[in-house]
Amino acid sequence: MMTIAATTTLAPATARRDWLFLTTAVLATALLVALVLIDGQPASAALLVLGFGLGAAFLKAEFSFTASWRRFLVRGEAGGLLVILLLIALTAVAVVPVAASWPHYGGSIAPLGPSLVIGAFVFGIGMQLANGCGSGTLYTVGGGSGRMLITLACFIVGSVLGSMSLPPFLRMGGIDPVLASDYFGPWGGLAVTLASIAAVALVILAIARRRGAPISTRGSFIAGALVIAALMIGVFFAGGHPWSVTFGYTVWGGKLATLAGADLSQFEFWQWPGPKHALSDSLLGDTASLTNLGMIFGAMAAAAFSAPFARGPWPPSRSLAAAAVGGLLMGWGARLGFGCNIGAFVGGVASGSLHGWVWFLAALGGCTIGIKCRPWFGLSRE
Amino acid sequence: MRLVYLIVFLVGVAAILSDHLTSPSIGRAISPQDFAGACAPCGAPCPSKK
Repeated sequence: MMTIAATTTLAPATARRDWLFLTTAVLATALLVALVLIDGQPASAALLVLGFGLGAAFLKAEFSFTASWRRFLVRGEAGGLLVILLLIALTAVAVVPVAASWPHYGGSIAPLGPSLVIGAFVFGIGMQLANGCGSGTLYTVGGGSGRMLITLACFIVGSVLGSMSLPPFLRMGGIDPVLASDYFGPWGGLAVTLASIAAVALVILAIARRRGAPISTRGSFIAGALVIAALMIGVFFAGGHPWSVTFGYTVWGGKLATLAGADLSQFEFWQWPGPKHALSDSLLGDTASLTNLGMIFGAMAAAAFSAPFARGPWPPSRSLAAAAVGGLLMGWGARLGFGCNIGAFVGGVASGSLHGWVWFLAALGGCTIGIKCRPWFGLSRE
Repeated sequence: MRLVYLIVFLVGVAAILSDHLTSPSIGRAISPQDFAGACAPCGAPCPSKK
């Protein structure tokens, strides 16, 4: 029997739940899961559920690539970046050997060239202005940030513009993907990948020590990384490739543009088999869209479970302008740079693909510019 | 902001349902990387193939 004391203790927590949005998020996920199960696609259902878990985990751990990078660049604090490297290393343990050994699995690969460098650099600027990257946009939108709704809309627009720009940029030249497992085999490739992560971690540690900055981070951030790594490995096994975010945005934008009467088939990008198929097929047939949708719903459920949803006021117009510009830059940059922090950096490095490190360095350069631009929009440099 | 969210959410879910019910589907969810010749997560071809 519940005592009066227990009732009074539980009452405030229950009262803080936002049942409308909590129920809506759970029902929407259940509906989509039911639709793909009716089509006989358990792997698609798994991607939706794993995305739901990722949304909740990112929100609860406040797992932010953007803030971690900024703290490192501005204050030399290395804790966040080191935890991100831990996340990548854990994911690599599953991805590199499996992708190199089983034909139905593949890593996140991309060619090396001007398109990658320019795209990642522009993305870095955008993520500091928007105050969130590809995954950050998803979980903060799901978490009730009106500002990031603007970012998401502009990310989608920028992504479609990027799809039109990518082929000409690819014609500027480049080389085929460089994959560690192609040179050293599945386990040798994994060893080289882990060694490269360790080497970068040591460089980051050395920079932090030289600047006299702390290297510690929140326990919840580390716990979040462990949960996210497990979910990312789940996405890899369910979808056959490492988790990617931004292609889903491109498909959403392509479908909206088509709905508005645009003929995207005249653009080279949309003539490639993958994008062409994604544009004509159901959204629920695209792996990136499935995890993206699950992530938004998961973050929404987690946010509504613990507090009234989206009760905050709209931010100042200058902050909204930064969200819009940042979204556009990220969308365009993600298409040219073959993804965001998740698809290009985490997925690329965890696959043993050299493009992941190139993307990281170029995006880090873009972040330094983005951080300098933040005060123009009334945002703190820190 | 809640009202904006509710509208965006409901319109979004309705759009996904409409798209799913009116689009052909080959069944298994796939990524552009699953297609032959794809060299990137978006399905871009390899430079050596050009």
